Amino acid sequence: MRRLAILILAAGCGGAIDPEWQLDHDRVIAVRADPPRIASGQTSTLDALLGRKGMAPFVADPESAMVVSPMRFAGALRQEGQQWVVTAPAVADLDAARSELGLEPGVPVPLRVRVTFSLDQSATKIIWLGELVQNPVLDPITIDGMDGLMLAELDVGVAVDVPLAVELDPEVYDIEWLTSCGTMHDFDLPHAYLRVEPEDPQSGSLAIVARDNVGGVSWRVWSVTAH
Amino acid sequence: MHGSGRALIATALIALCGVARADDPTPDAGVPPDAPAPPPADAPAPPPEAAAPIKVSGRVIDDKGKPVKGATVKVENSTATTTTDAKGRFTIDAPVGATLVITSEKLGAGLASVTGAALEDTVLLQDVANEEIEVSGEAPISSTGTAQLNREELQRIPGTGGDVVRALNAMPGVVNVQIPLGYSGVVIRGASPQDSRFLIDDFEVPVLFHPFGLRAIVPTESIQSLTYVPGSFDVAYGRSSSGIVLLTSRPGSDTRSTQAEVSLVDGGLIAQGPIGKDTRYMFGLRRSVIDFVLPAIIPDTVDLSLTTVPQYWDEQLRIDYKLDSKWDLSVSSVGTDDVFELYTTKDEDAKTKRFYSRTRFIRLTPAARYHEGEWTTTLALSGMVQELDAEIGLYQRLIVQNPQVTPRATVTRTSSEAAGLRDVVWSSGAEAQIGYSDVDMAIPLERREGEPYPPYDPKDTATHFMGSVWVHDYAAWTSLAASFTPRIRLTNGVRLEYFGRPRETAIQPRAEMQLRLTDQLTSRFGAGFYRRPPEFQSEFLQKDVKSERATQTTMGVEYTPIPGLRLQGSLYYTDRTALITHNPDGTLGNNGRGTSKGAELLAMLYTGEWFGWVGYSYSHSVRVDEIGGPERLFDYDQPHSLNIAGSWKRGRWQLGARFNLYSGLPYTPVVGAELDSDRNLFIPTPGPVNSERAPLHHQVDIRVDYSWKWGPTQLLAFLDIQNVYLNRTVVTYFYSYDYSQRSAFETLPLIPSIGLRGTF
Repeated sequence: MRRLAILILAAGCGGAIDPEWQLDHDRVIAVRADPPRIASGQTSTLDALLGRKGMAPFVADPESAMVVSPMRFAGALRQEGQQWVVTAPAVADLDAARSELGLEPGVPVPLRVRVTFSLDQSATKIIWLGELVQNPVLDPITIDGMDGLMLAELDVGVAVDVPLAVELDPEVYDIEWLTSCGTMHDFDLPHAYLRVEPEDPQSGSLAIVARDNVGGVSWRVWSVTAH
Repeated sequence: MHGSGRALIATALIALCGVARADDPTPDAGVPPDAPAPPPADAPAPPPEAAAPIKVSGRVIDDKGKPVKGATVKVENSTATTTTDAKGRFTIDAPVGATLVITSEKLGAGLASVTGAALEDTVLLQDVANEEIEVSGEAPISSTGTAQLNREELQRIPGTGGDVVRALNAMPGVVNVQIPLGYSGVVIRGASPQDSRFLIDDFEVPVLFHPFGLRAIVPTESIQSLTYVPGSFDVAYGRSSSGIVLLTSRPGSDTRSTQAEVSLVDGGLIAQGPIGKDTRYMFGLRRSVIDFVLPAIIPDTVDLSLTTVPQYWDEQLRIDYKLDSKWDLSVSSVGTDDVFELYTTKDEDAKTKRFYSRTRFIRLTPAARYHEGEWTTTLALSGMVQELDAEIGLYQRLIVQNPQVTPRATVTRTSSEAAGLRDVVWSSGAEAQIGYSDVDMAIPLERREGEPYPPYDPKDTATHFMGSVWVHDYAAWTSLAASFTPRIRLTNGVRLEYFGRPRETAIQPRAEMQLRLTDQLTSRFGAGFYRRPPEFQSEFLQKDVKSERATQTTMGVEYTPIPGLRLQGSLYYTDRTALITHNPDGTLGNNGRGTSKGAELLAMLYTGEWFGWVGYSYSHSVRVDEIGGPERLFDYDQPHSLNIAGSWKRGRWQLGARFNLYSGLPYTPVVGAELDSDRNLFIPTPGPVNSERAPLHHQVDIRVDYSWKWGPTQLLAFLDIQNVYLNRTVVTYFYSYDYSQRSAFETLPLIPSIGLRGTF
């Protein structure tokens, strides 16, 4: 009876789709502006964390980038070598933009840019102009009771719950734990856990991405092997 | 469509007097029968009517439409008596307003009121569940495409799990939405759920199904009959631009009984009977049992905490009291309470993963009906308290508390002859719906018809409001129906409505001509104007949003070649204007327009042991959302829908099967997506709206009933299985978070429903 009920409940959905925590998937995971908010004359560099099927996630520079809005700041974005860099315009230009956009005096001006990557993937990212704010710091991170910042490779047990924790307030930070090895539970909570079953891939990657509410983003990636 | 009085009396009588319905709406002249409730055998006789006797003819049939031969017809308070012939027909001298008492040795007693020279068919209806006789002198609401079914007929349709309201999807014109989750209404003729209204004993109820869509909020056994009017309904009803579904609650019987039923989904009790000689009661209570089953079947590996397992309560109450020969009083109530809370994690402190929902309402309606001679008046004051509380995560919530009161009054006069016309029915009425909504809202921009489903952003509270809103709507109507010749009957009426929130007055004239071509063949032509007030979702928060408008035109024929066989077909065309759509800035405006057109066929056969049903509908519904915008299909455009059902009953067994075939619904494909990195959301790029369609689906459902006696208890067990050959068809697609993959949501492969009912 129990199996029948499960069958009935599950029957409505057809083939599987990758869950959001799956790293073994072609996608743009996050775009980073470093720093995410800059004052006049300061610069910010764009890069991204990309996921690719069968590969560990990696950091890449955008193949192309363009300003979406406001177009008066189209010249604030330029390519330096492989990197795309935003330079905050002069104070007077920011004031003019605030006036044009109906913003209060002194508030940061959002510069939305579109960046593209291989596989025809694209993303948008806002760089805030007018004040300096750094990306968040992921510290401390605890993995299976150990200091995650001290680890580069993880060895985890099979068929056991591996606790993962980052000390960030979920009301301020958007948190994602991702993996290509096993199943991630509570992937969008500060306290998650990883479980690798015997039938799962026995090696892969683990990553955490955290976004704050002022445009900042940080990530960290580990390789994982299950034993 | 007959006059509003006819429609109103049909339902008011059932509500107030405990009479059942007539099956055959093809009467000689379409006069409302005005049958009062059956008095107890020893009740004091009503005073004689003052009018002079006229020669009255009519027909008595059973609930299968077969003529009842040898039934005794007696004029109450008089010695005049006659018996029906082989065709069930009778002629007797009686004054207008008199009551005819009709008795049959086999079927018991029934009543009919004399409203003119030619009476409606009187149906002697057997209440199978209690093995007692109900009486009827009623005809259903007369409108092209209307179907009225009683409880027993609806229960015989396989594939409904014994839920008569779910049997609605066997009606031509009702869109089969396939996904029951979150479905709380009925979609008629390709419109939207909010365009149709669902009424119990003439008053709206806010929800029709429990959130999981498996059950209607009213259990089968508390329902007397269901009337489905897909369009062109008369002026007594409003606030709908599509169709209406009228449900009449079941009056208590003359003998005391209790009925208990349990299935895998819920269980309940219904008690009914007399209190003294003038009062009858019916009380029903039902509770879900799925909350006891669900925790046991959810695997431990699922990241889910059901802190409040989905559960519901339903209640129904009806008390009928006969004050004297002219006054009947009643009190009825219907209510439901649905609640569940879950966390999509094992961590119950993670408020970002919380989902809570509670929907409850209770409606209480005291009513009085006065009948004397040609005049009938009904007065009712219905109050409802409704509460909706939905909370998602930390930021999103919709909390609405809405008490409202609805007074409604109608008056009807019937005359056998006036101004050279025959069987004249004049009817007028008025009602008000005055409500107060206390709203705490913080939700994303609501999706409107045809718009792509937005990505889920738990922090999105683009639509927010906290405050109170008065919504007060008023309506008055009048109609006149008369037969110009024995074959031509015309009904004209007008409904005047004032929607208080947008300060809008709506004048809605409606008319129907009934042409009786032969004794068996009748054609109908109807046209009218209809409005739906802007009260769906958050429409009422914007004062400048006006009502949606529809102009309906229908044409139909009804053919009853032999007793027990009924065929009806209809064509319709609906022009919709002022449809509410989003403006580019996210506000609402009346910029949309559209059309719906189609054809419907329905055949019903009753031949003793057999019950057959064939329903087919063709529909095509298109709209544009802005001036100069592209034309697209409605979300619920379903071109083809076919239902063929058969049921055979002998002795203790009843076997039934239904073949069901219908078009898939349109959907909008996603052609790309881009990551908004700051919100961590992939923003989809939709293709042309509703440019693709899910495939055709077909399935067979079966039902087996077995009844037996166990001591003093009458027991009935049933097994109802949907989709017995496990046909799986794509209903729609769910996309992955980044829209790079999609998963087909398929029809459920097999749904068994098992139940046991005992009456003692």
